[in-house]
Amino acid sequence: MHELSLAEEVIRLAVSEAKSHNAISVSEITLEIGNLSGIDADAFESALAILSENSIVGKNGIKIVRKKGTGICQSCGIEFEMERRIDECPGCHSLPSEIKGGSEFRVVSLVLELEDSN
Amino acid sequence: MCETCGCGEHKHPHDHTHDHDHHDHHNHTKVVDLNIDIMAHNNIEAALNRGFFMGRKIFCINMVSSPGSGKTTILEKTVSRLITGRKIYVIEGDQQTFLDSDRIKKTGAPAYQINTGNGCHLDAHMIGKALKELDPDPQSFLFIENVGNLVCPAMFDLGENKRVLIASVTEGEDKPLKYPLMFETAHLCIINKSDLSPYVDFRKDDFSRNALSVNHKLQIIEISAKTGDGMDLWYEWINSQVSDMLPTSP
Repeated sequence: MHELSLAEEVIRLAVSEAKSHNAISVSEITLEIGNLSGIDADAFESALAILSENSIVGKNGIKIVRKKGTGICQSCGIEFEMERRIDECPGCHSLPSEIKGGSEFRVVSLVLELEDSN
Repeated sequence: MCETCGCGEHKHPHDHTHDHDHHDHHNHTKVVDLNIDIMAHNNIEAALNRGFFMGRKIFCINMVSSPGSGKTTILEKTVSRLITGRKIYVIEGDQQTFLDSDRIKKTGAPAYQINTGNGCHLDAHMIGKALKELDPDPQSFLFIENVGNLVCPAMFDLGENKRVLIASVTEGEDKPLKYPLMFETAHLCIINKSDLSPYVDFRKDDFSRNALSVNHKLQIIEISAKTGDGMDLWYEWINSQVSDMLPTSP
């Protein structure tokens, strides 16, 4: 369950960004998780929801964009979609020589709620 | 920039009505584009460790495996038998006990135990803290025995020079396909417990083919830490890696 400790990292990052902008809360976190990244996106989402309970992060604002893996076939050179790291080229069943996408694991953006007195 | 309308001017009047009490508050939102890799914090700490190793010319190996593959036994033998003229240090990681570091200390090598509690892996920050305590001599070897787990430790760079994966003949040849990220990030795969080969159905050729399909650069050796069979291949590999990394001074 490395998802839990990495979810802690996301909450820590969001809270520290909120502090540096004098925000009162974080209403939205957008993340990108590739299906070849080694992270179980469902487990990560659950971990974030649990950790956000007692924080300034709103658990309904967690948005995960799932990215698909792309491989370049080492024999015929075509680009094909990969669900798993051991997927073969659908045409000639060779392994990819290069994996282009699917390793994404990042915080894309935050929406901060700022309080402004008038 | 004005955070309400994004117009770039601070002092213009907003066209919302001010019919509320001046002690009331209203909220503004602000979008912050971060584009930060979630592993970045670990990777920065790993880079600090790597700098520490470079500065002291220390060669560091991160040993990963499933539980019970024989990491600690391999390390006990290695600490006693590896001929290098260098001092050997060990960092042990497991969830709860001091059993492994006690075993290593009996061989005479300085060992530092990290207990991760409920954690399933070591991270670069834990290693950084351990390095302060262990304070390894320049030009030494450092072996890190990671928590026995083929999933989580794969993602965490500790700053090591090389990652060595220990498998054993009792584990089955499908492991590289089931845990591809770990095999993909390793430099050397040791197949341990070769002395048990006659009693189990392990097919080494299938294992190697599966391992190479996820990492075609992976080197694979077969040993028995118990009988000592093949251990010379392991020592030769270590020494060849070190001489590649640290050219002997003129």
